Amino acid sequence: MNKKVTLTVLTSLIATAIFALDPPPVGSAAPEFSLPDAKGQDHSLAQYKGKYVVLEWFNPECPFVKKHYGSDNMQKLQKEYTDKGVVWLTIDSNAPGTEGNLTPEQAQKIATSWKTHETALLLDPDGKVGRAYGSKNTPNMVIISPDGKIVYHGAIDSKATPNPADIPSSTNYVKAALDQSLAGKSISTPQTKPYGCSVKYKSS
Amino acid sequence: MRPVSRIAAFLVAWSLLALASQSPGQVYQGKELVKAELLADTSAIVPGKPFTVGLLLRMAPHWHTYWAFSGDAGLPTELKWKLPSGWKVGEIQWPIPLKTIDPGDIETYGYENEVLLMQEITPPQKLDDSTVKLSAQANWLVCEKICIPGSATPQVELPVSTTSQLANTELFARYRHLLPQNWPGLNVASTNWSSVGRDLRLKITSESLAKYPALDFFPLPGPDIVVGHPTIESHDANEVIFRVPIESSQKNLSSMPGLVVFSQQANGEDRAAWRISVAPTISAAKATPPARGIFTFLFFGFLGGIILNLMPCVLPVISLKIFGFIQQAGQSRRKILRSGIAFTVGIFAWFVGLALLLIALKGGGRDVTWGGFQFTNAYFVLALSVIVLVFALNLFGVFEISLPQGMTRGLLSTTERKDDLGSFFQGVFATVLATPCTAPFLGTALGFAFSQSAAVILAMFVAIAAGMSAPYLLLSAQPAWLRFLPQPGAWMLHVKQFMGFLLLATLLFLLYVLGAQRGLEGAIWASCFLLVVSVACWMKGAFVLPTASLMKRSVVLVLMLALVVGSGVYFIGGKFRSSNLALADSRLRGDWQAFTPERLQAELDQGHFVFVDFTAAWCITCKFNEANVLESSEVREAFQRHAIVKLKADWTNGDPAITKLLQQFGRPGVPLYVLYPGKNEEPIVFPEVLTKGMVLEKLQTAASRVAAQ
Repeated sequence: MNKKVTLTVLTSLIATAIFALDPPPVGSAAPEFSLPDAKGQDHSLAQYKGKYVVLEWFNPECPFVKKHYGSDNMQKLQKEYTDKGVVWLTIDSNAPGTEGNLTPEQAQKIATSWKTHETALLLDPDGKVGRAYGSKNTPNMVIISPDGKIVYHGAIDSKATPNPADIPSSTNYVKAALDQSLAGKSISTPQTKPYGCSVKYKSS
Repeated sequence: MRPVSRIAAFLVAWSLLALASQSPGQVYQGKELVKAELLADTSAIVPGKPFTVGLLLRMAPHWHTYWAFSGDAGLPTELKWKLPSGWKVGEIQWPIPLKTIDPGDIETYGYENEVLLMQEITPPQKLDDSTVKLSAQANWLVCEKICIPGSATPQVELPVSTTSQLANTELFARYRHLLPQNWPGLNVASTNWSSVGRDLRLKITSESLAKYPALDFFPLPGPDIVVGHPTIESHDANEVIFRVPIESSQKNLSSMPGLVVFSQQANGEDRAAWRISVAPTISAAKATPPARGIFTFLFFGFLGGIILNLMPCVLPVISLKIFGFIQQAGQSRRKILRSGIAFTVGIFAWFVGLALLLIALKGGGRDVTWGGFQFTNAYFVLALSVIVLVFALNLFGVFEISLPQGMTRGLLSTTERKDDLGSFFQGVFATVLATPCTAPFLGTALGFAFSQSAAVILAMFVAIAAGMSAPYLLLSAQPAWLRFLPQPGAWMLHVKQFMGFLLLATLLFLLYVLGAQRGLEGAIWASCFLLVVSVACWMKGAFVLPTASLMKRSVVLVLMLALVVGSGVYFIGGKFRSSNLALADSRLRGDWQAFTPERLQAELDQGHFVFVDFTAAWCITCKFNEANVLESSEVREAFQRHAIVKLKADWTNGDPAITKLLQQFGRPGVPLYVLYPGKNEEPIVFPEVLTKGMVLEKLQTAASRVAAQ
């Protein structure tokens, strides 16, 4: 009887190890990375230690991303929190040749024309950082605490639709999590199911 | 690429879609991506007769729309019906989807090329128009490499007629064939959920699995649940174990609805699936406040207490007490009254103690159910069996009980204090012995009390105690009435021995319960232990005599102890414990089928009427109702006529799934009879005691009411 229990526990531990490709759980250390922005300058997670960091997965072709940029919702959020000292890193993990992949020039252009307010728009055409975070959607939002822990992973808000008309009536989880964090409170909703398009990763 | 112009185009397209919602399809950059159409499986609408309507989506090559759970990306298709009042529409019947895995371990569930999403529509009984136009707004997300939301409001127009023919038969047949099936009976396949940390593990055992090399589990998580990718942990000939990772931190997540999909190869055209529903969030009838007031129930409790005295399990103790009165008849009134009061206090002490214990357990958040508290526990039943047997042997004269100076001697003792103590313990003992009789007979009244406040629970137990002790208190207060009782004499011994047989009858009932819980083998091992206990009692009676030497008495007592403990360890700790829980299936008779929450949900999903009989082997009321009402030819015939599925929820062993449902209905135990007239109807709860006329009438009104809608 006890042997069986031990065996079960062991098997599940091994299984957990094998399936470690799943997103690192909320509360665990955020995987370190370094990526170039559209101007070729590198940004690493380590350099932002001591600050709240927001990661936003991006695809300008995706209707769910367009929902939040077309309505100015995302830009407002970026502006509000970068003004409060939060670091906002927008990441494009779509592989070259897929819809949504951006060259540095395209990235600069879109940031200008969409009037975005992120700290940096990072290019991850290999998908390494996206995979390390188990990021499967655009938009997908991750918040990292000043001590380098993942404190939120999930959707931007509560209404999984591509319709911008739904934004006013939905709960913005990222805003709530940042407000609570900055006020020194614990985050009431630390994990949700992200919604949107899939990230178009390079076949590995 | 000109992303900016694209987004502008998208926004324009979005607003156009919103405006031109009549458009039957979706055009993107000059290419038709999705064509939407509504089709019916009937040529005409017959008032009151359900039919099926399907949304047919035809996607451009390589584009796909999504299933009810879209997976890591995408969105399920939505349908919003605009139906006149009086019309009813069922849930979307989703065909088994295809699973797509994209780079980056992105899994999605959807449909390629074409899909038909069917829904059952029930028109009202009366229709004035000659034609009816039905329309629904459909919203979908269609993806290839990129995703485009689409929307349309297709409609279908049908004539109203008294007869109808099938229409679009080939299309509907093709997609009905692709619908998941309900979970088959337990004899075909069984599921078992367990938790591994936050994750769930699903074990499926079925001989049918051997035929399909490709197996998968498609989850249907509820809102707020973030589910990872289900994987197969092990796969044998007739058993498969899925692991379903849960990434969000839900508490008390014990299972998840979904599909078990089989095919010769993954995403094969031959794919078939069984649907797993989860303990249905059945709209449990709100705990209806009893029509009868609390005082009525307390009165019933009091009456029940009086009647308890006549039960075969109590009568023997009571008769001893009466003998005591008879023998005391000549003594002082004061003494008799004292003895009567002590006896009454004994009865009250036990019942009030029990009430306080139950209140404490209930306050501690434990599942307190009368039957569940006692009779679903085989060891409790076993302990009662031992007590009943030992007392019977005592009545037969096999041995004398000589505990606190002895009950019998206490009776005859001259010291008043001893006498009082003896009477007190007699009272306690009488109530302990009453327990086997309370569950079957007082279950309903106690059941009511358990759903109430602590004060009511206490009041209920006090009422029963008062009822049970009333006759003695009266007799001891008015000893003059004792002269109606016969004179003491040799007949008392015979009565006493006869009472022993009543106790053996009680023992038979307890063994029947044990057999129902642990099977024939369990009952036999319990009987073996009882036999050894009898031998120990005989040793006590034969050798532990006041005249025997201390040495001899000690040796015999040690031997007795060794016998009882040894056989207890061997028969009960070993054999009895390992005897399997008896399967409820083996007790199913006739056209009854075993209840599981999945089964109930499945039958309701199919639009069946379902009658559930919550019962247990030890519940006499249940047995009575079953024998005289449910199994009577009239009622059986009525069930058949209304095509009602009969499920039996067997609570003999205290199945937690059934306990939960009982609680949803505000019941602490069985019996409970519930009729589910379809998925969207409030379930109808029957009273605890059934009569044929009432059941027939309720079936009739429920059937006509549902038909009227």
